[in-house]
Amino acid sequence: MSERALVAIDVREVTKTYRMGDIEVHALRGVSFAIEAGEYVAIMGPSGSGKSTLMNLLGCLDRPTTGIYRLDGTDVGTLDDGQLAKIRLRRLGFVFQGFNLLARTSALKNVALPLFYAGLSPRRREQAAAQRLDEVGLGDRAAHRPNELSGGQQQRVAIARALVNDPAVLLADEPTGNLDSQTSEEIMGLFRELNARGRTIVMVSHDAEIARHAKRTIRLRDGLIVADER
Amino acid sequence: MNQYVREALAVLAANRARTLLTSLGLVIGVMAVIAIQILGAGMAGAVGGVLGSINDRSFTLIPNVRQGDFTRAQIRPNDIARAKERIAGIAEAIPAGGITRLVRAGRRHSRLSLAGESDQRFVTTGLRFGRAFSSEDVATAAHVALLSDDGYRALFEPGTDPVGASLRVGDRRYVVAGVLERPKTGILPNVVRGDVFLPYTTYERDYLRGRTVFGARFLIQPDADMPAVEHATVQYFRTLKKGHVEYQTFDRKSFGAAVDGIFGALTLVVALIGAVSLVVAGIGILNIMLVSVAERTREIGIRKAIGATRGQILAQFFIEALLLSAFGCAVGLFLGVALGGAVNRFAIVAISGVVAPIPWFRSIGIATGFATVVALAFGTYPAYRAASLDPIAALHYE
Repeated sequence: MSERALVAIDVREVTKTYRMGDIEVHALRGVSFAIEAGEYVAIMGPSGSGKSTLMNLLGCLDRPTTGIYRLDGTDVGTLDDGQLAKIRLRRLGFVFQGFNLLARTSALKNVALPLFYAGLSPRRREQAAAQRLDEVGLGDRAAHRPNELSGGQQQRVAIARALVNDPAVLLADEPTGNLDSQTSEEIMGLFRELNARGRTIVMVSHDAEIARHAKRTIRLRDGLIVADER
Repeated sequence: MNQYVREALAVLAANRARTLLTSLGLVIGVMAVIAIQILGAGMAGAVGGVLGSINDRSFTLIPNVRQGDFTRAQIRPNDIARAKERIAGIAEAIPAGGITRLVRAGRRHSRLSLAGESDQRFVTTGLRFGRAFSSEDVATAAHVALLSDDGYRALFEPGTDPVGASLRVGDRRYVVAGVLERPKTGILPNVVRGDVFLPYTTYERDYLRGRTVFGARFLIQPDADMPAVEHATVQYFRTLKKGHVEYQTFDRKSFGAAVDGIFGALTLVVALIGAVSLVVAGIGILNIMLVSVAERTREIGIRKAIGATRGQILAQFFIEALLLSAFGCAVGLFLGVALGGAVNRFAIVAISGVVAPIPWFRSIGIATGFATVVALAFGTYPAYRAASLDPIAALHYE
């Protein structure tokens, strides 16, 4: 793993306000927390609590209205769209509830996609992708397309894709939401393993059973942090 | 770059029917433009070949075609001979036009056109066998004949030397003096055309006795000024007819200018067809690319979340549009060359005998230009739309 800042995520007095017509929606009303490198954190909250908004901010898909967000030492609020894309590419790995793999594309190519945008040669892309697929236990499924894989396998491919650029933080948005309980346990086992090897993981979930796997839980309600438990 | 092309090809291949239907507009447009310009080149080549076989020191006089009454326009051979003496700068004058007769040679026979020619050759086609007419042939109205390639083929075994053989027309006999090379006179009016040429004196004596002709052909002297001589000739015949008939002349230059005018108009029409089909085909591509972007909104969201920049998304969709239009143009190029080449070969070349080379560079240039313009004009906006999508909204698009 390349050199990382000790504090992976540093959020200070962050607010996010949307305008919907004439109405202002205060999705986040000022949240502050820090996540150190190597932590495994679950963000919980009922719908409308602002956890999706926080996830979008942490994922550099959006900028805070006020406050400061530092990812791996970089102040995200000052970056333009192109720089945000670069941050997402180099320092973040996304895992979604719906897997979000490209349908026409093999598992290997899906995993290799971020490396294409990073400008690596096809040979190096496929080597790195094959290695990541091995790590999530799908080395023998490299040529399969998403529709030829089970839900659990698809999520493993998505995890391999999220890790292929060696990101500072792995962001998971309801990663087990589309999976049965046994497969969910397997994915959580994989997360635990990754975290044991030093990977920083931030996971959004409304499911206490799943959040239990994390070492720390941040609870949101109405755009504010109501609990931060280890 | 490679990866963009491969992904775009995969998308186009996955939607085969859509790809084919969308590119159909371009296929038809490019095909039509290329086929028509190949035909134009073929016809220009044919006309050029025809003009090349006319002596460029010659011109033809005919009644002005815009007047209604031609009955008084006919010219007597004597008038032509007199014009040669009276008008300064004229070296030779012969009756224009021909006459069709059954011509026999040995046991073969064919209906062929007979025409007059002088020793100062009006037609510049080279000789394959024998010799051209001598001044003595003309002066004595000798019973000799020159065969065109068509005439030769109709009456003799290919390859045999017919010089000295007899041609019989009715009860008249002519000795073959020479054979012209493969002609380039196919699509010209019969003022230039003839299968069997006779010395014009012979032609007048044997076929024009007491008759009149429609026009005359003139050769000017080497130091004479062509427009001045043409003007003087028109005036001479107008005066001869006491102003009742108007005449006009055409020579290689004015004929070429008229032909150029026709091709200029043709080119303009082709350009218009091209512009219209380009816009229509381009709108089709614009439409299908917008559909493609809408269908793949979620995919675009995934790519953006992963870290694709606007430029990278733009490139992906632009290259897809470019390949789509390139595909249509390539097929159109192929079909256009095939169609144009076939019509050229079986119609124009068959009639004129002039093979104009297919203008490959221009054809490929047209196809490439079309593909580029359509992709730039109609592929940019969908690609821009894709690149501008908000990743959060795109990710949650169902």
